[in-house]
Amino acid sequence: MPTIYVDGREIQADKGDTVLQAALAAGCDLPYFCYHPALSIAGSCRVCVVQVEGRSWVEIACNMPVTEGLRVLTDSDLVREHRAAMLELTLLNHPVDCGICDKAGECTLQDYHYEYHGKASVSLEPKVRATKQFPLSSRIVLDNERCILCSRCVRFTREISKSNGLGIQERGDQSLVRASEDGAFEHDPYSDNVVDLCPVGALLPRAFVHRSRVWYLKATPSVCPGCARGCTVQIWHRKPEWAFKALDPAKNTRIERVTPLANPGVNGPWICNKGRDLANIFERARALQPMLRGQPATLDGAVFAAHVLIASAKRPLALVSSWGSNEELAAFAATLGTGMPSFVKADWLPMPGEVVEDEILIRADKNPNTAGALARFPAWDGQFGDADVVVVWGEGVAASRIPDSAAVVRFGSYADADAASAHVFIPISVQTERAGHYTNFEGTVSAFERCFDTRANVADAEALFPLLAESTKATA
Amino acid sequence: MSSKKLLMTFPVTATSHQLADYRARGGYATLEKVLRTMQPADVTKEVAASGVQGRGGAAFPAGRKWGVINLADGQPHYLCANADEGEPGTFKDRWILENAPHLLVESMLIAAYALEVRHAFVYIRGEFDLPYRRLAGAIEEARAAGYLGAPLFGGAFSCELVAHRGAGSYVCGEASGLLTSLEGKRGYPRNRPPRLTVKGLYRRPTVVNNVETLANLVNILRDGAAAFKSHGTPKNPGTRLISISGHIAKPGVYEIEIGYPWRTFLEEDCGGMMNDANLKCVIPGGISTKVLTASEIASLTLDSESVESAGSSMGSGGMIAIAEGTCMVRLLQVMLRFYHHESCGQCTPCREGMGWLHRIIDRIVDGQGRKEDLDQMLRISRMNDGTTICGMGDAAGYATVGILAKYRDEFDYWIEHKRSRYDGNLECRPST
Amino acid sequence: MTDNRSVLPIPSEELAALRARYPAGFESSLVMPCLRRIQELRGHVDDGDIGALATYLGVPRVQVEEVLSFYTQYRREAGGRWQVAVCRNVSCSMRGAERLIDACERKLGVAVGETTPDGRVTLSTVECLGSCGTAPVMMVNEQYVENVSVESLDALLEELR
Repeated sequence: MPTIYVDGREIQADKGDTVLQAALAAGCDLPYFCYHPALSIAGSCRVCVVQVEGRSWVEIACNMPVTEGLRVLTDSDLVREHRAAMLELTLLNHPVDCGICDKAGECTLQDYHYEYHGKASVSLEPKVRATKQFPLSSRIVLDNERCILCSRCVRFTREISKSNGLGIQERGDQSLVRASEDGAFEHDPYSDNVVDLCPVGALLPRAFVHRSRVWYLKATPSVCPGCARGCTVQIWHRKPEWAFKALDPAKNTRIERVTPLANPGVNGPWICNKGRDLANIFERARALQPMLRGQPATLDGAVFAAHVLIASAKRPLALVSSWGSNEELAAFAATLGTGMPSFVKADWLPMPGEVVEDEILIRADKNPNTAGALARFPAWDGQFGDADVVVVWGEGVAASRIPDSAAVVRFGSYADADAASAHVFIPISVQTERAGHYTNFEGTVSAFERCFDTRANVADAEALFPLLAESTKATA
Repeated sequence: MSSKKLLMTFPVTATSHQLADYRARGGYATLEKVLRTMQPADVTKEVAASGVQGRGGAAFPAGRKWGVINLADGQPHYLCANADEGEPGTFKDRWILENAPHLLVESMLIAAYALEVRHAFVYIRGEFDLPYRRLAGAIEEARAAGYLGAPLFGGAFSCELVAHRGAGSYVCGEASGLLTSLEGKRGYPRNRPPRLTVKGLYRRPTVVNNVETLANLVNILRDGAAAFKSHGTPKNPGTRLISISGHIAKPGVYEIEIGYPWRTFLEEDCGGMMNDANLKCVIPGGISTKVLTASEIASLTLDSESVESAGSSMGSGGMIAIAEGTCMVRLLQVMLRFYHHESCGQCTPCREGMGWLHRIIDRIVDGQGRKEDLDQMLRISRMNDGTTICGMGDAAGYATVGILAKYRDEFDYWIEHKRSRYDGNLECRPST
Repeated sequence: MTDNRSVLPIPSEELAALRARYPAGFESSLVMPCLRRIQELRGHVDDGDIGALATYLGVPRVQVEEVLSFYTQYRREAGGRWQVAVCRNVSCSMRGAERLIDACERKLGVAVGETTPDGRVTLSTVECLGSCGTAPVMMVNEQYVENVSVESLDALLEELR
């Protein structure tokens, strides 16, 4: 455990650390672009320069091994001079696009310029021009003028996703990040992580370009339901205090983007592209209307009808959602689940073209809480037996699979033909409208928080299940 | 006339590069002596004792570099000769490759023996076609004669040698950029630590030495360190190959004993200036060394101490003699265009700084220069001083700072009058 | 979209011999020697060669692409039968390279970087070739042509049929 001194302050480092790692771990404020804890050392941005006490030159801290008694300065005149020079040179050919660049507000280059008192450029030369809005893939657009060639994106595709999808063409100040010509980056299921890695607005997701200023958005911690890995994510949506008044109110309940929530125990700093596209899951056409055999009903009416059906069933069967939260599953187990055989189904199966499983994050089980559900109920064998009432909670069981002899009570979130054909259909809220927990395939429990309010006429399953089990009086 | 020759010791003929001629000159006898009578560590000791310094530009003592290699670490070691010779003004390694390729082969086998290397490389710049073919021919001759790829002289040591060609990149002359290129990638130099002698080619301990540095090994091991040290100066023993070009009457490769008087070299050995011109200034050792005026060099000798006392360096030995009437603004423009073209683009100060310097001087030459441009160029040079991954940023800085220090008035003139004081001339005008 | 199924123009015995010169595990090092050889045989490196080479050597395709664009000697487009590259660096400029380049452009009727309409000559400028003592110097395909002058240029260009 070497001891080093940063600006005179004693810091315990770990053997094998670099000065940058030790300093950051101790809370020191050192700027850097190309360094990333999960990637190899590039040592190319030259912004993390420090001065070893007694030496008259600066050195980069990201490649300086800690040694016992090492003393470095991060704020000497020499360091300030060279750090300012490195930032100035980084900005030399960087287009001042801030006014139209999506990265504004979360741009490391902007932040450092202000934090380290950057000055206006003194260069009289026109800036180097390069391709802007270059299609790196169908998902990612690249602005080569903004790119500061930190190489994080390239190293990511070599070392983490292993797609080898990105490289640098040409050389010098004509260097350009480019995708390999065989389209490997297009097929990289982790491609969008380069957007988080990019310290500037060079790499941007097409889906988010010019969609919103980031300071109007809040990031709500959540869990991706795309597979049993249960990566923790941040779902970004309009801050309530910045709610749109004049425009379509649906804009206030939109998922603007999804980014990883770093989680050393589960997904590290990454998520796969499916997690970026959660809007594709949660913003499908919603079921907002309780129905009795396709006819609109009140929520109370539907609850009563369902209760009657269930109470009178001789051979009921419940198919439990593997997308249910631990809280919802507990409620089910304590109420409806005590009265009928209940089995866990796989709401989602891998879809054609989707990566089934890999060695990085993606799991073949495309459901977020199979483990939480199986902790309470056995797995379903796909058979209905001679059930007379089938309670279907969640997706994955088409009406056409259910024997005609069974009455169907269905709880679901999405508008489809199955909802219309059920004897009783009760719309339930989706993950973004609730708080709860999922258990991933390794038994790790992660929390998701509420982003939006539940809609009118839509029930929260956790409250619904006890209602259905009660022997309440009917209020028709 | 500098009489001491250690390398250019034979007349160049149509066959002097071939094995038979080389053997007639005593070739491969030293290798045999070393392998039969010395241990690897003894060879390194002798090399260290000789004090021979790198002749690629950095002047690092070869023995000290070799001493880092741990002979007992049980992992592969590699040796690589740096034949990239890209420093403008330098063409002396080419002389060795074309005329004495077996000297390099034998020297490399001696070095490989000392360093526990079984596979050695010569990284030769892609444009050097004849030098490559001469070297490849020598390698084939050596293989056929049993020197390569087979155990030598009754012992266990054997070594393979590969001539590996570059494809056009100055920065591959930097030792770590060279190895990255040798690994089949873009020639990006690497940060240290780790040193290449700890993790080099494919992360194995590697020694990279300049061709001329290696070529001295036969002499050192044949005649001993003391004999080697009897040439040159105490701090810079031996001889050096100087490539001289520019406005000199007899450009070419000359071997001088280190410490030889500079003026004598130019005026006697090299025939003075062409067209009877007057000497204006000299670039001592490749364009990355600071220019020295004619009056400055008058009292200097060709060794590191003397040249460094005047604020410059012997560098790669690529000397350029510049006649009066040459426009130093245009000369620097050609240099900055070169550095800009060759920057690998990895690190911020060089990537952005080279382009910036080039654009400023282009603008000055275009007649749009401003007074503040010169200080800006000095500032950019300072931003590149010691802050880059490799020495290229520093190199462009030396060229810029050196020329501005001595010839700022020409730049001021151009900025003020929007034209060159010397019509933008780079060629040699007769003295008037 | 390019694929990796093309065949390299280098004969397989030659590839094997090249491979055998390097230590085991050095396949990545073969990228540049192979690209040079492909270019010698084909005149340039074709799109199909990139994937084929990457597959043969077991290196990422992007590595081959990056190498191709980093080094100045590689061409991905067919050029003239004769590649005429004139050095424009310091010592050559001091011995008339700029006048030489102008003369080449005039006599060939193309600008630097272009190929003559009859496909004979591609003219380019290059940095220091390491032949400063015989400046001005040019490369014609693989060969150095030294001590070139504007006067000797006509005869030289005549030979490039």
